[in-house]
Amino acid sequence: MLPIILMTMRCFLRDRILFALLGAAGLLLLLIPAMSSFSMRQVQELSITLSLSANSFLLLILATLLGSASVWGDIERRYTAGLLGLPLSRRSYLLGKFTGIAVFLLACCAILAVAGLAVIAIAKSQYPAASDPQWWVILLASAMIGLKYVLLAAFAMFFSTLSTSFFLPIFGTLGVYFAGTASQEVFEYLNSDIAENLSPLVKSCAEAFYYILPNFSAFDLKVQAVYGLPLDAMSLLGTLLYFLAYLAVLLTLSVWLFERRDL
Amino acid sequence: MNAIEIKGLSKTYRGKRGARVEALVDLNLDVKAGEVFGFLGPNGAGKSTTIKLLTGQLRLNSGCAMLFGVQVSDPDARLRLGYLPENPSLHGHMNAWEHLRFVGQIHGLDAQRIKRDSQQILELLELDKDAKRPVKGYSKGMTQRLALAVALLPDPDLLILDEPMSGLDPLGRALVKDIIRDAKGRGKTVFFSTHITSDIEAVCDRIGIVVRGRLCALENVAELLREGVEGYLVRYADKLGCQHEDLIVRDRLRERLDSLLASGATLDAIEPHRRDMEAYFLQTVKDAEACLS
Ligand SMILES: Nc1ncnc2c1ncn2[C@@H]1O[C@H](COP(=O)(O)OP(=O)(O)O)[C@@H](O)[C@H]1O
Ligand SMILES: [Mg+2]
Repeated sequence: MLPIILMTMRCFLRDRILFALLGAAGLLLLLIPAMSSFSMRQVQELSITLSLSANSFLLLILATLLGSASVWGDIERRYTAGLLGLPLSRRSYLLGKFTGIAVFLLACCAILAVAGLAVIAIAKSQYPAASDPQWWVILLASAMIGLKYVLLAAFAMFFSTLSTSFFLPIFGTLGVYFAGTASQEVFEYLNSDIAENLSPLVKSCAEAFYYILPNFSAFDLKVQAVYGLPLDAMSLLGTLLYFLAYLAVLLTLSVWLFERRDL
Repeated sequence: MNAIEIKGLSKTYRGKRGARVEALVDLNLDVKAGEVFGFLGPNGAGKSTTIKLLTGQLRLNSGCAMLFGVQVSDPDARLRLGYLPENPSLHGHMNAWEHLRFVGQIHGLDAQRIKRDSQQILELLELDKDAKRPVKGYSKGMTQRLALAVALLPDPDLLILDEPMSGLDPLGRALVKDIIRDAKGRGKTVFFSTHITSDIEAVCDRIGIVVRGRLCALENVAELLREGVEGYLVRYADKLGCQHEDLIVRDRLRERLDSLLASGATLDAIEPHRRDMEAYFLQTVKDAEACLS
């Protein structure tokens, strides 16, 4: 499986589009100190929010593109004919490919996180705030962003194994992303008093969706990072386990489907 | 053990809106180890479908297929296989060296052997000068050569080549024939598809002809060539010294020769006159199509 992981990553590193995206994100980060200074009081808070958002945004694009293009793109360009004619199981191919994407996403996330810290430090030095930023919390929030988009990439790959065009993977993944980000709020709304007069069918449908769709808001530590709030270790551990379980299910399903597919 | 065993293999493609294409119907075929087998058929006959089934890219609808006794659904069946896909396409961002190293690694070869054999094969296929360029910039023929190099690298016991000559210049074609002959000389098995009959005579031990997904002829090439002798071209000089050429049908050769010699003619040459492979192929396809429709 190692050769396929390395090959996947090597091809990413040679793709100019990805570098253009990374460059754009870097530029965005550089603008942050200037933009933060517009808010007179909360320069530090704003710079933290913005740098985490920039990281998040880039990873959203990368995870959607790389995950969606993974299997479908290889089939479309007929790379799979040669690859799967080797003594390489489809499972190793798929998991190797996914690992390559995940490592690449996490590496981008790490680079942007470090760049973000530098940017925050610059913003802070220009307009000293009342309290020091909680560097570790910010890093942890970035790590959670990384995990969130690895999970999203797994979704993209899942759609990619099913699909014969780019349509389903790209729009399916974006759909899952937006639904998964909103699902916690919708769930809370359903369980509140306001939703009492909704029909039970709609309610149970929405609840079913809540349990099927990933709950991306669990990965969101932005508030904690911005205000330096204490973290709950148990809930972090819970999120991590949730991530692993969800990933395992998605990958198993993808492998199962891909093994049954004609190329 | 047979290198390839196919029993009752069928494949139906399902298209959009329930469209069905019966690409392969109840194919039975064994290829012995050490044999060079030519798989012939017109375009769309089901050659590539058969090969894709053998290399594990398509799911079998029914029947079974094995390479060296291992079911094709098992990736291990491809441990002893070198496969050249039809119109191969290789990762554009990688160069020839990287492709070969990757394939060697998947086959579990050690780094030194990969390096040595890659060098040798790239030289054989005359790609060594372009080996460091990304494959993106390769011409069709060069890509075909590199894909062939990829198939040859693990020194496989079985080569499955889907239209290996397509896209190659005459030199490349001759090279492929040499490679096939060389593989046979070293006891390897070769299974290749083609629709060019002249390739067959040069290298094949046996051929199968597939038409509309059905195997409709299975022949030994040497026998076919022998049986295909329709008559003899006899060159002789009569007793006045004038040169003549006569085409004599097979059954009457003896009779005609006796009478020629009796008339005092001197024989210069007797050559078998063959119905060529092309004619045989065309006739078989025509008969099969008439039979199927
Ligand atoms: N993916 C596919 N979906 C539907 N039909 C297909 C597909 N691939 C091949 N076919 C059909 O199957 C038949 C056999 O094709 P193929 O095996 O590629 O022929 P060839 O002998 O030229 O290699 C053709 O009629 C072709 O149209
Ligand atoms: Mg074909």
